[in-house]
Amino acid sequence: MASAYKEAVPVPEDFPVGLKVLVVDDDIPCLRIIEQMLRKCMYTVTTCSQATVALNILRERKGFFDLVLSDVHMPDMDGFKLLELVGLEMDLPVIMMSGDDRTSLVMRGIKHGACDYLIKPIRTEELKNIWQHVARKRCYVGKEHEHSGSLEYNDRLKHGIDESEYASSVNEGADVTSKTLKKRKDTKEEDDADIENDDPTTSKKPRVVWSVELHQQFVSAVNHLGIDKAVPKRILELMNVPGLTRENVASHLQKFRLYLKRLSGVAQQQGGLPSSFCGPLEPNPNVGSLGRFDIQALAASGQIPPQTLAALHAELLARPTGNLVLPAMDQPALLQASLPVSKCITLDQNVAYGQPLMKCPSNISKHFSQTVSSADNAHSGFGSWSSENLVNVVTCDNVTGMGAQNGNAMMSMMHRQQQQQRQQQEHLQKKSKLPEPSRSINVQPSCLVVPSHSSANFRAGNSLAPVNQNCNLSGSSIKDYNILSPQSNISPLATGRTPDIKIKSTGMLSGLSGTGSISATFSSGSVIADNGVGSQLQNSASRFVPDRQLTDIVPNISIMQDSYNATSGQMLDLETLKCTAFIGRETSIPSRFAVDETGLPIGNVNREKIRGENNGNKVKLEPNMNFVESAKAGVPMLRRLSPTDLMSVFLD
Amino acid sequence: MLVLGAERLRIDMNRLLALLFHQGVLDEQFLQLQQLQDDSSPNFVSEVVNIYFHESEKLLTNLRALLLNREFSDYKKMGIHLNQFMGSSSSIGAKRIRNVCVAFRAASEQNNRAGCLRALEMLEHEYCYLKNKLHELFQIEQQRLLAAGVRYPMQN
Repeated sequence: MASAYKEAVPVPEDFPVGLKVLVVDDDIPCLRIIEQMLRKCMYTVTTCSQATVALNILRERKGFFDLVLSDVHMPDMDGFKLLELVGLEMDLPVIMMSGDDRTSLVMRGIKHGACDYLIKPIRTEELKNIWQHVARKRCYVGKEHEHSGSLEYNDRLKHGIDESEYASSVNEGADVTSKTLKKRKDTKEEDDADIENDDPTTSKKPRVVWSVELHQQFVSAVNHLGIDKAVPKRILELMNVPGLTRENVASHLQKFRLYLKRLSGVAQQQGGLPSSFCGPLEPNPNVGSLGRFDIQALAASGQIPPQTLAALHAELLARPTGNLVLPAMDQPALLQASLPVSKCITLDQNVAYGQPLMKCPSNISKHFSQTVSSADNAHSGFGSWSSENLVNVVTCDNVTGMGAQNGNAMMSMMHRQQQQQRQQQEHLQKKSKLPEPSRSINVQPSCLVVPSHSSANFRAGNSLAPVNQNCNLSGSSIKDYNILSPQSNISPLATGRTPDIKIKSTGMLSGLSGTGSISATFSSGSVIADNGVGSQLQNSASRFVPDRQLTDIVPNISIMQDSYNATSGQMLDLETLKCTAFIGRETSIPSRFAVDETGLPIGNVNREKIRGENNGNKVKLEPNMNFVESAKAGVPMLRRLSPTDLMSVFLD
Repeated sequence: MLVLGAERLRIDMNRLLALLFHQGVLDEQFLQLQQLQDDSSPNFVSEVVNIYFHESEKLLTNLRALLLNREFSDYKKMGIHLNQFMGSSSSIGAKRIRNVCVAFRAASEQNNRAGCLRALEMLEHEYCYLKNKLHELFQIEQQRLLAAGVRYPMQN
């Protein structure tokens, strides 16, 4: 705390004298007594018997008062409400007082950010000392300036992420290595310790450090409630973090909303955000190497210029713990997909496009209502997944690109290395996270990539595509998968081939809405990943006979391994999957995955529904891996999958 | 003799105060009040106590009205009144009233109507007792001041 003092605002010699205190209490005798006491202590006192009046006074004379003393029980407004408002609007130290000494009430006061809680009867001795709250605040403000921006989203964003060690709270964890995180945490703890050591009992509301974990909790709470319905109190309850006050949450929520708003605004203006956002993430495939997966969701208001397509770079196995970075464009709000920490995909290429990055903390579910305007994107072919349900995206080795056209859903599975995949499957079945190095899957933007979803048993990616938990695929359906080669912004364009691949899956894809056969166009889009690896799509019509492999299928999981194997002879290197995909829990996230050669980490996607919209197409994945057709397709690409249906396509 | 009278009145006052303290009617908070009284507010104690009585009477009336509503007793509102009553009582040092308030509130939280009624009667009793005693105290005070005031010109 010594450090705080040196920054203290110069204190007048007669400092406590004349301190301007506003006393609010509906209890007149008490008000009178406290007034008199404060006078005795040489404070300048203003009294008020109504909270609403007090609030008006405070608003009219902003900056006039140094301190507020408020009763808890007041008829016109709860003292805590006043406390919250004062804290939010003027950031004044507020001391609560009440004749009610029940612990729960005192705790409420603390949680709401009261810097002190006085039990009536209040004694002069207690009031003599209240100037310290003002002094502490002043010291504190000075101190906070030192750490400018540490709590400010905007500042942080402006600064970019150059100081990678301080990931912006929005991007927290996205690009931060666990190491630096830890480091940062430690320093924070020291700070906090300082404060606490100083004066634990009377310390002002401690500055809340919105750590990654805390922010994730916050976001998950917000998602749970819905961004529009989220109120500090409920969020606080959901978060259930000791020491966190409603005021803290309210303040954070405000900033969060601002941030979302700002993001969407930026997205509208320009498909791409200044590279400063993305800077740190840029081309490094290595970002994920630290074991962190970044998920970035971009909330775009509707339109994403094709140029802003972000490729997700997923690094799999080698980095078991990662965050998925999904650039998601979402109109109203950006939602973050929750990823289990251990399972993540990192996107690298996004940086190049300069899209705003959203980090999706794990276990966060968000609702994206995404509207991708098809017009702009028509040629680019976005695949966006909006999942209304929780989606824990665990990136498995398996990546499925799904595109639906004309009532035909296309699903593309990209995989390399068959054997590895099998191994992985086994691992997956075990739910073991075994990273298998060197798998690169690239999905073209027109494709939706679905990370494997453990609960749903849907695995996209190398080899596994469990569609339904029941593993029901309509048997004997011929599927033509067309991969659309989007004209992606990625420098190397994929040559769009539309080979027709027919896959017979008996018993699989059973639930497809209406059509047992799905024709999808594969466009062999060879995209060069950052790695500089040119991917070649071999357009070969391959037939998958799932039946053989059904035996291998773990109950509740339909695995397309066989088909995979069948095609295995045909090695397709789809190295880039660009997909606008939303993966989120209960959220629809339009996002694009670019998967580079990295193996996809095995992930569990707990998503109950995934909706993907490609160019206005919606694909809904239900936990059962069902696709619902909900799309209108002005664009040929629209397709709906009935929720009960699962479509998985392997691209080989 | 006037000086002696003032002195005697002061002793009476202290005796009465001691009694009230002994009975637990008042606590040291009342002394705080007395210490707050100074030249700038010479009648501070009686002023506050009068406000207190005024407010308390309203609260008591409200509480009684709430309890007498047989169909629906708004215990929550009762609790709010009681909290205020507790706050103001403790602020002037009316210890016993505050204690009764605590019991009252406990009864109201349990929707214990009978308990509330009992507590209300006790409260009214305590209230009247305190009011009488404080009234007496202030009267002695007035007399003492009067006696002391008479003394000044004589000394001067």
